[in-house]
Amino acid sequence: MTGTRDTPVRTAALTGLVVAALSGAAVSQAAAPPPEVRQCLGQRLHGQESAAQKCFMALTHASSPYLRAEGAWGLSDYDAANSEFRAAVAQADGNALYRTRWGELLHERFNNVDAAGLFKEALLRDPGDAQALLGLARVSADGFDDQAVARAQQALAIDPKLAAAHELLAKLALQDDQPELAAKEADTALALDGEALDAMALHAVIEILVDRSPEAWWARIRSINPSYGRGYAIAAEHLIFNRRYQDGVAMYRKALELSPRLWSARSDLGINLMRLGQDEEARQQLAQCYQNGYRNDATVNSLRLLDTLKDFATFTDAGTILKLNRKESDLLYPYFHEVLTQAIEAYRSKYHIELDGPVQVEVYPDHEDFAVRTLGMPGLGALGVTFGQVVAMDSPSGRRPGEFHWASTLRHEMSHVFILKATRHRVPRWFTEGLAVHEETEASPEWGDSITPDIIVALRDHKLLPVAQLDRGFIHPQYDAQVLVSYFEAGRICDYIQARWGAAKLLDLVQQFAIPRSTPEAIRTVLDMEPAAFDAQFQAWLNQDTASLVSGFDAWHKQLAALVSAARAKHNAEVLGQADAVIALYPDYVFDANAYQMLAAAALAEGKPAIAISALQRYVRHRGREPAALEQLAKLQQEAGDDPGAIATLQKINLIDPVFDTDSHRRLGDLLMNAKDFGGARREFAAVLALHALDKAQANYDLARACHAAGDAECAKNAVLAALEVAPDFKPAQKLLLELTGQ
Amino acid sequence: MKAVARLAVLGMLAGGALAHADIYFVNVAGLGGEPDYEQRFAALAADLDRIAKATGPTAHVVTLSGPQATREHLQQTLSDIAGQAHADDVLVMTLVGHGSFDGMQYKFNLPGPDVSAEQLASWCDHISATRQLIINTTSASGGSVKALQRHDRVVIAATKSGTEKNATVFARYWVEALQDPGADTDKNQVITGLEAFQYTSRKIAAFYETEKRLATEHAVFEEGGKAEPVRDGVADGTAGRMLAAFPLVRLGGGSATTSDPAKLALLKQKEQLEQKVDLLKYQRAAMSPEDYRAQLTQTLVALAKVQQELDQ
Repeated sequence: MTGTRDTPVRTAALTGLVVAALSGAAVSQAAAPPPEVRQCLGQRLHGQESAAQKCFMALTHASSPYLRAEGAWGLSDYDAANSEFRAAVAQADGNALYRTRWGELLHERFNNVDAAGLFKEALLRDPGDAQALLGLARVSADGFDDQAVARAQQALAIDPKLAAAHELLAKLALQDDQPELAAKEADTALALDGEALDAMALHAVIEILVDRSPEAWWARIRSINPSYGRGYAIAAEHLIFNRRYQDGVAMYRKALELSPRLWSARSDLGINLMRLGQDEEARQQLAQCYQNGYRNDATVNSLRLLDTLKDFATFTDAGTILKLNRKESDLLYPYFHEVLTQAIEAYRSKYHIELDGPVQVEVYPDHEDFAVRTLGMPGLGALGVTFGQVVAMDSPSGRRPGEFHWASTLRHEMSHVFILKATRHRVPRWFTEGLAVHEETEASPEWGDSITPDIIVALRDHKLLPVAQLDRGFIHPQYDAQVLVSYFEAGRICDYIQARWGAAKLLDLVQQFAIPRSTPEAIRTVLDMEPAAFDAQFQAWLNQDTASLVSGFDAWHKQLAALVSAARAKHNAEVLGQADAVIALYPDYVFDANAYQMLAAAALAEGKPAIAISALQRYVRHRGREPAALEQLAKLQQEAGDDPGAIATLQKINLIDPVFDTDSHRRLGDLLMNAKDFGGARREFAAVLALHALDKAQANYDLARACHAAGDAECAKNAVLAALEVAPDFKPAQKLLLELTGQ
Repeated sequence: MKAVARLAVLGMLAGGALAHADIYFVNVAGLGGEPDYEQRFAALAADLDRIAKATGPTAHVVTLSGPQATREHLQQTLSDIAGQAHADDVLVMTLVGHGSFDGMQYKFNLPGPDVSAEQLASWCDHISATRQLIINTTSASGGSVKALQRHDRVVIAATKSGTEKNATVFARYWVEALQDPGADTDKNQVITGLEAFQYTSRKIAAFYETEKRLATEHAVFEEGGKAEPVRDGVADGTAGRMLAAFPLVRLGGGSATTSDPAKLALLKQKEQLEQKVDLLKYQRAAMSPEDYRAQLTQTLVALAKVQQELDQ
C-alpha cells in the first residue's frame, strides 16, 4: 500500500475531484480550506496551471504547517504534504479540517484505510463536517460497498449545498444503470456550482452511453478549463464499466492528450490495453506511471502480471489464441482447445456472428494473477472474465479439485464474447450474465451451477430484484450473496424466456440491446409487456419450480444434520434408509456433506455397489464435481462391467479438473484402448506424461501402444524408446520395440 | 558411467546379492492416543506385516502393534535379532505412529514408557547386519535422524526436522508404494528403498496440493551417517545410492539363477548391453541427436532380442 500516513510517496498525479469540490463551490458551508488555498485551486480549475504552481509555491513558505501541506500537495510533493499534515494535526488536535484534508490526500494516493480513519477522526471532532462524510462516501464508492449513497446523503443532510456530494451520487446512479437519476443529481450539482466540471463530464457520459453526442458538454467544460483531461477520464471509466473497452481506451487517450501527467488515467489506459491483448503498449504506459511514482496496487500488480507472461506458452490458430502456463500447457491444451473451438462454432451458428479476429483465452494457475485482471471491476465472476475478445480465467490447477467446472466457465465466457460483439458492447450486465448462465446448461444439463443454500434463502426472503434493477445486484450488492443470487436470477430469467416464448425471443432481445435500448424498453418491445408484469409472471414460474425446495429447506437442514451424525457413527443401515428422503428435499445439494456421497459410502460399506453407483450417478447429474467421487464412480462402473459408463464419467473429470491425478487419465486411456478409440487413448496417455508421472517408463509405453494402434509409427517409436531409455529391461516395451522395428 | 546408471546397476547387483541374505523386518505401530489413530496405525502395521512376509522365505518379520508395542517388547525383539542376524543380513525397521521432539531429543510414543532415538540406535547398533534401513514415519521424526544415523545405515524420516509436529500421511503412501508396480520406475521387478521413497514423496506433495493445504511434512533420508538429510535422491548421483541398494519388494519374475552355459552367455550379453545403454546415456550430451537415437535404438533392439531368447 502506498501513501500511508507514515510512508508518504512522491508523484506528479492530480485528481480533479478535490479541485472541483473546493475551488468553485463558494456556496457550500462544508468546512473548506481558507481563501489562499481556494485561490490556488481555483486557478487550477480554470486551467491556469502556471499561476496555480506559483500560488502553491507561495503556500509552501507559509508559517502554518497546514498551509505548507496544501502548498506541497498542490505541487505534487506528497512526501512533504504528508509530513506537514502530520505536523499540523499535532499542533491542532481539535481541528477537523486538517484531518479531513489529510484524508483527502491519502484517498487520492490510494490509501483508503488511513483516509477513512482520518475522516472518522475529523467527525469525532466535528460531527458536522460534511466534507469528511463525503470523504467516507468516496471511500465506500471505491470499494463498491453499500454505504456510499447513504454517506453522501448524510453529507447533504448537513450541507445541502455540497455540490461534490451530488456529483458522487450521479456517478453511483450511473453505475447502477439509473441515467435519469444520474442526470438529475448532476443537474443539482451544476445548479449549486456552475463550474462543477465532473457533473458536466457525467452528463457527457450519459449521452455517450446511449450513442448521443456529448459535444455540448465537452464544449462547456472547455469553456471553463480547456485542459481538463479528467473529464474524458471520467467518461472512460464509465465506458469500461459498461464493458466498452475499445471506446474506453480511446477516451483515456483523449484524457492524456489534454493532461499527460494524469497518471491515474495512464494507469487505467495500460490496464485496459492489457484487457485488449495489447501487452506491449500496456507495459509502456504502466511503466511510465511507475517511473513517475504512480504505484498503486493496480499499476504494480499489472506490471508484475506482465512479467509473468514469459511463463506462458501461446498456441495460435486461425480462430484462437490460447495462453497457458508452460508448466501445464501440454496437459491442458488438447482439452481447452477442443472446448473453445466447440463453443465458437456453436455460438457462431446460433448468433450468426463472425468475430473480428481470433479469441484470446488466458488461463491462470495462480488465482492472484487472474484477480489482477478483474481489478476495479465489481460483480464479476470469480472464475472468468471477458474483455471483448480476450478472456481470462482460472486454471483448474489454481483451485481445489472440483471447486469449479472449467469447461462450463469457458463456455460461459465465450457467450460474453459473442454477445458483447452482437450488441456492440451495449448489453446490460444482467442480460449478458443471464444468457451466459443459460448457455452453460444448454451445452449440458450437468454444466452450470447448482442452487446453493444462499439462493434458497434469497428465494424464501423474496430478495430477487425486478428485472429493470437487476444490474444493481451485480454492481452494488446489498447483502453478501447478492451477486451469486443475481447470476442465478438472470440465468433463470433467460431460461423462462426461452421456455415460454422460444429461443428466438432471446435473440430478439440481443438485437434490441444492440440499438441500444434500456431493459424496460427491450422487454416492452420484444415481450409486449410491462417490466412489472414480466416480473410477476417470471416469479410465478420460478415459484412453481422452487416452492418445494424453499418450503422444505428447514426440514432438509435438520434431516441432513441427522444423516451426517449417522454417517459419522457408521450407522450404515440408517444412512441407507434416510438418505433418499434428504435428497428429495434438496436434490441440488452436492456440496460438503451431501447425502449422495454419504449414501454411496454406506452402500459400499454394506457391500451394495449398485446403490452406490446410483447415488453417485445422481450426484453427477446434479452437478456434483468432486473428482475423487467421479473417479470412484468410474471404478464401480468398470467393476460392474459398464465400460462406456466409466469412460463417460472419466471424461467428465477432464472437463472439471484434468490436473487431478494421473490415475484417472491412465484408467481412461486403458478403457479407450479397449473401446478402440485410439486417438482418445493417445490423448489420455499424453496427459499422464504431461503430468510428469513418476513411472515414466509405463507412461511412455502406454503412449507408444496407443500411437501404434492409431497407426502413428513415428510417435510409437519415439515413445517406446523413451520408455526403454528409462527402463531398458521393461519387457512389454521391449516386445513393442521389436514389433515396431520388424524384428 | 553416469551415477544414475550406476545406481541402477548397484540396485540390480544388490538385489542379486541380497537374494541370499536374510532380511529382518520389524514393524512397530506406536500409541495412537485416539481410536481413529489406533485403528489407522494398526492397519498400516498389518499391511507392512503382510507385504514383508510376501517377500519370500528369507524374510523374518516381527510386527508389534496395540498393547504389545511396548518399549520392552521392542527392545527384546531387536535383541533377539542381534542374536540371530549375520553381517551380510539386512534390517528394515518401520516405525508408525506419533513422535515427539523437545528440541534435544526425539521420542517414539509407545504404550507405557516411550523410546528415544538414542535407545533405538543403541539397540540397532548391536545387530551385526551391515545393511540397515530405518523408516521413521512419525511426526517430528526428523528429530531422530541425528541419533540414528550410522555409516552402514540409511534413515528415512517423514519430517525434515523435529519441529514438524503434525501427524503425517507418510506411512499411508509408503505402504501404497510397496504395493504399486508403478513405484518400480526402472521396471526391474524390484521396488527399492529409493523408488519407494520417491513414490511416497510425490504422493505426499500431491496430497497437500490437492487439499490446498500448506505441507506440514517434508520427508528426508540420510545415508552413511556423514551427511545432512536430503529430500531428493539420484538427481546428481550424490545421494540415494545406499537407498537404491535396498530391495524391499519383488514384484515377481525376478532374475532366476542358471547353470546353463547358453543362458549364462546370454545373461552376460544382456549385462553388456545394459552397460552400453548406460554409457550411451552418459555420453548423450556429446553426441548428435540423430546418432544418439540410432545407437540407442540399435542397442535396445539387441537387448530386447537377448531378453526374448532368455525367456524362451
